[in-house]
Amino acid sequence: MRKIHVRVAMVYIVIAIIFLIVRSFIVPPSFGEYGWYRGDSVSEIMNLSVKHAGSYSCSNCHQTEYKAWTTGKHSTVNCESCHGPLKYHVDDPGGSKVEVNATREFCGLCHNENPSRPEGFPQINLESHGNGFTCVTCHNPHYPWFD
Amino acid sequence: MSELLWQALQQVQGYVYPNEIEVNWSILIVFYPYITGLVAGAFIVASLERVFKVEAVKPTYRLALLTALAFLLAAPLPLVAHLGHPERALEIMFTPHLSSAMAGFGFVYAWYLLIVLLLEIGYDYRKDVVKWARTKRGLKGFLYRLLTMGDYDISKEALKKDEKLVGIITVIGLPSAAFLHGYVGFIFGSVKANPWWSSPLMPIIFLFSAMVSGIALVLLIYMASTKLRGKKLDMKCTDTLAGYLLYTYVLDLSLEFMEIAHLVYVQEEGIDAILTLINDRLFLSFIVIQIFLGTIVPIFLLVMAKTGLFRATIRKIFYIFAALLAMIGVLAMRWNVVIGGQMLSKSFRGFSTYILPIFGIEGLLTAVAIFILPFVLLFIFVKVLPPWEEPPIWESTEHQAVEGNGEG
Ligand code: HEC
Ligand code: HEC
Ligand code: HEC
Ligand code: HEC
Repeated sequence: MRKIHVRVAMVYIVIAIIFLIVRSFIVPPSFGEYGWYRGDSVSEIMNLSVKHAGSYSCSNCHQTEYKAWTTGKHSTVNCESCHGPLKYHVDDPGGSKVEVNATREFCGLCHNENPSRPEGFPQINLESHGNGFTCVTCHNPHYPWFD
Repeated sequence: MSELLWQALQQVQGYVYPNEIEVNWSILIVFYPYITGLVAGAFIVASLERVFKVEAVKPTYRLALLTALAFLLAAPLPLVAHLGHPERALEIMFTPHLSSAMAGFGFVYAWYLLIVLLLEIGYDYRKDVVKWARTKRGLKGFLYRLLTMGDYDISKEALKKDEKLVGIITVIGLPSAAFLHGYVGFIFGSVKANPWWSSPLMPIIFLFSAMVSGIALVLLIYMASTKLRGKKLDMKCTDTLAGYLLYTYVLDLSLEFMEIAHLVYVQEEGIDAILTLINDRLFLSFIVIQIFLGTIVPIFLLVMAKTGLFRATIRKIFYIFAALLAMIGVLAMRWNVVIGGQMLSKSFRGFSTYILPIFGIEGLLTAVAIFILPFVLLFIFVKVLPPWEEPPIWESTEHQAVEGNGEG
């Protein structure tokens, strides 16, 4: 065996070893336990705390809003889509206060004109519609239309 | 909503699905197959001399190897820049999945770089490196001494063995180069939902266009470097290279034609959309640039040069134009495949538009910078490992000194 071959082979072996060492640090130990992902992530996700309570859980205490909502145009939009995750509030209604966002921009998130929304979806021009009053001056967010 | 998506949204034509509005495989993904193609092409030029014993192209052998190396080092950069998380790029090699063609790339790339190119260049230059290691001082000398790896044996037998080894590596390298680039075509060819891509011919078309662009690149670099060094152009070498450019071009054109003819003849679902794509959306980049300027004109120029009616000076001009047009034409081909395929909606009832930003990580400037990088690398390689057959002026004196000492 010539010296040069041995040296070249050595360099390559060193490269391969470095690769394997770096790999052993970077690939998480539980990788491949269940599939092509980090096995520990399953238990981590399982242990995440539940944040949403669901619309039905509001019905006991906020009957007015709930009743209006079930028959209104927003009945396809969960309470918590607008009010945010509220499990903490259902568990302890007297605890931290629930923030309510009633700005025009908030309603605009779903209703501002945008060509990528389905054609039949109710859209308005956020700049001109309603003369700059907050939307809830004229629309009841829990029963947004009158028919 | 991102500014680009908003602009693209206003130019949607017909019906497209929401996730097709913005073309996500940007100009970077155009340059990626382009650069890998240049690698494969340049390597095939190098193997002409080694494997097929085309002696006339010997002056370009080492130049082609260094070109392949410079472009190979730049080849993954567009991909890495395109990743939202570039720091995760290596994970594809740490945990490769057999069902992912993309994961294969890392290994094909590593094989090609470490086993084929570096070894071939290393063993081919060994004799010169040993000589330089003995004569050069300072940083350069240190580098050469490092490159010898402590083996200064350049006896006749050793060199003969080196020669043989390089031959073997080239023979292994040829299919590897074909594989490296064919696989890029394979990735596109396997997208079965997209009739503009889905075709088993795709890897072969990619390979041949790669050869076209690679030969053109080596031809251009060879002509430019001889000019810059104030040397006389080896016309036999240039003519031979141009000849090979012509042959691969003709093959490439017929493959491309076969692909389109097949699409039109079988009239599968989506053919109307494809015809609109070709005749309307891609008219400039496909019909005008790729087919006419990038294929027909250079073939015509090369055929003209072959007739023997023209003097060397005129032929030279023909070659420069043909090679430049070839490079542009193949870039246009990559563009038409990558961008064209994404403009076509999977609904076959609409088209989206690609908006090319100038700045930003996915912009034109990044792509151009990545494309310039291999030329800079090549410049450095050429300085460190002069590929010229005769010793360049700056070292001829030292060379004589070595020769005086007797070899080996
Ligand atoms: C156990 C009864 C109870 C349940 C269940 C409950 N809430 Fe409440 N909620 C209250 C009480 C009591 C208040 C008033 C607390 C306060 O003013 O500090 C309140 C306040 C609110 C407020 C703030 C009103 C304001 O004027 O600031 C909102 C919004 C609200 N709840 C939404 C909801 C939603 C949505 C749900 C269902 C996910 C829900 N609540 C479930 C009892 C409940
Ligand atoms: C479309 C968004 C939206 C949905 C869906 C929605 N809300 Fe509201 N909610 C609002 C807004 C906006 C306000 C603030 C109204 C205001 O300031 O006048 C509000 C106010 C409230 C209040 C405080 C009432 C008050 O007069 O201060 C309660 C309680 C409430 N919502 C409960 C609910 C419950 C329960 C549901 C589900 C059944 C629900 N909301 C669904 C947007 C929504
Ligand atoms: C999470 C998205 C979302 C938000 C936020 C939202 N809406 Fe709606 N809105 C809807 C949906 C969904 C409908 C029902 C559309 C349908 O029936 O096709 C609707 C319907 C309406 C309608 C009835 C329009 C019609 O022509 O029937 C009005 C008015 C309306 N919303 C006003 C508001 C106001 C005011 C706000 C702010 C307090 C608001 N929306 C916030 C999703 C939203
Ligand atoms: C001054 C009262 C007023 C205000 C403030 C107002 N609206 Fe309206 N909105 C109306 C009236 C009246 C209509 C029905 C006539 C029309 O379409 O213009 C309407 C219609 C709508 C519709 C149905 C449009 C359709 O084509 O079906 C939506 C959605 C809507 N408004 C959302 C909003 C939102 C979101 C805001 C806050 C940015 C808002 N409105 C503020 C009075 C108001």
